Amino acid sequence: MSEQIREQVSAFLDGELPNSETELLLKRLTRDGELRESFGRYALIGEAIRGTTRGLLTKGFAGRVNLAIDGELIPVNGQFSQSRGPRWWRPFAGAAVAAGVAAVAVVALQQRAVAPTLRAGAQVTAQVAAPAPSAASHEAISYTVPTTSPAAPAAIPRARLTNYVFAHSRYSSGLDLRGVMADLLIEAEEQQPAANEAAAHVAP
Amino acid sequence: MTWVARNRAGWLIPCAIVGALLTALPQRSRGADDPREWLQKMNHALTTRNYDGTFFHLSEGRVETMRIVHRVRSGRVSERLQSLDGSGREFVRDNDELTCYLPDQHTILVEPRPEHGPFLGSLPQFGADVNEFYRIESLPATHILGRAARVIAVNPKDQFRFGYRLWLDEKTAMPLKTQLCDSRGQVIEQIFFARLDMPESIPDSDLVPAVRTEGMRWVRQGPSHDTASPALSAYRASELPPGFRLTVAGAQTIGGASVPASHLVYSDGLATVSVFVEAQAADAPGAGARVTGTGADAGSSAPAEPPMQGLARVGSGFAFSTVVQGHQVTAVGEVPAQTVEFIAHSVKSSGGAELPHR
Repeated sequence: MSEQIREQVSAFLDGELPNSETELLLKRLTRDGELRESFGRYALIGEAIRGTTRGLLTKGFAGRVNLAIDGELIPVNGQFSQSRGPRWWRPFAGAAVAAGVAAVAVVALQQRAVAPTLRAGAQVTAQVAAPAPSAASHEAISYTVPTTSPAAPAAIPRARLTNYVFAHSRYSSGLDLRGVMADLLIEAEEQQPAANEAAAHVAP
Repeated sequence: MTWVARNRAGWLIPCAIVGALLTALPQRSRGADDPREWLQKMNHALTTRNYDGTFFHLSEGRVETMRIVHRVRSGRVSERLQSLDGSGREFVRDNDELTCYLPDQHTILVEPRPEHGPFLGSLPQFGADVNEFYRIESLPATHILGRAARVIAVNPKDQFRFGYRLWLDEKTAMPLKTQLCDSRGQVIEQIFFARLDMPESIPDSDLVPAVRTEGMRWVRQGPSHDTASPALSAYRASELPPGFRLTVAGAQTIGGASVPASHLVYSDGLATVSVFVEAQAADAPGAGARVTGTGADAGSSAPAEPPMQGLARVGSGFAFSTVVQGHQVTAVGEVPAQTVEFIAHSVKSSGGAELPHR
């Protein structure tokens, strides 16, 4: 990704990209799958910095992501400035960005891959949502390879799943409708099983 | 009138006016800032305005670019949702019919959709039940797409449902960005506009699908006039996560199947979960027949296919399928995995109890 496009992506995510440039960025994104991936990573980092992944990331983590991004070019008050860090640090910054993104992705995957085994019949207690315990004391980030195997068979054949979701969307009267509809538009390859153990077919 | 009375009237009137203003102003201010009022404004904008926008759909670091066109003309609603960079899939709604073009599956699904909300979604009227399970609040205002935006959060109070954060255009109340969040506030999925126009008129050509339909299979599905068999209709969830209740029970043909499935809809007022109960027969939707069970609808000489069992991800939501008393039970919804799993596991035959029909 060129420096100019990186600047455009950053500015767009900060809501500061002029409309004329937004159109150009949009066209590039539509054509360029690699750019879309980078865009997704930037958006993820942005959310981490803004704290919307609260409860999952430590303060230290957000700081490291910030530092890592500082190793590249970041907008400061609408202007793009050069790295504040020493030049020798830059190679590590890229690795830190990648690690940070990986951590976020892994955390997200772990959250998604864990298939809760709460069953009907068990005592149902609505747990009041509360901020997760602060993990500020755990500065070290551990990485875990997600257990979800991309080769695992889907629990529900994708064409059939599409039919279910399409039928369900009729009753998604709330805000979840936009997600349901958007999800239906996404390539079927994305519809992966949530977990290996959940994907097993029952023997006849 | 005595002097005292005149004098009293003389200062009482201005006091009353000032008092009325003091009472009215905070109410007006509260109304202007009330997040619920903004959500209602958003609903109104989404359903009544013309708009043409391109937005990004981000989920798990993956980005899809999509275009939405929504037109209201003489009370007739037309809408088109198009993937610009991925599957080439498109949805086109023309008033009361929704067509889903799935070129990757060589299929076109058609379903009647009378009185349905816009693709971009809107919030139902909030009742007391919604307040019990969601907390709605205003967050600090910000700018997005160069526009001043209100930020509203709809926070779930437990782990059985997702929440939302919405960035609403201060001028039009259109949602410029939305996030789907879990009960801890973690962002699961987000949609944000790169471009959003609200033209006075939208030409017909903007609502025509770009998909080439030659050689594609047309499949009509939707609510069935025929009721599901008594055996299927007797099924329902015996236990539900807090706040969920049965809102719809009916029959639905799925994927062009000749035998309708029982379709149950459970809702907490905002989130919805569909439950499909199907016979494991040769003419069940999907490819071929599956292993027959012990249910009354079972039985087929067609090649057997293993019954579905397990959890599948559906974008940001989940589907969970299991076999109950020889029937295939599948719960689908934009809710956490545990919610669909909980509901599907609790489904059982209630022995022909009367259900509310749609």
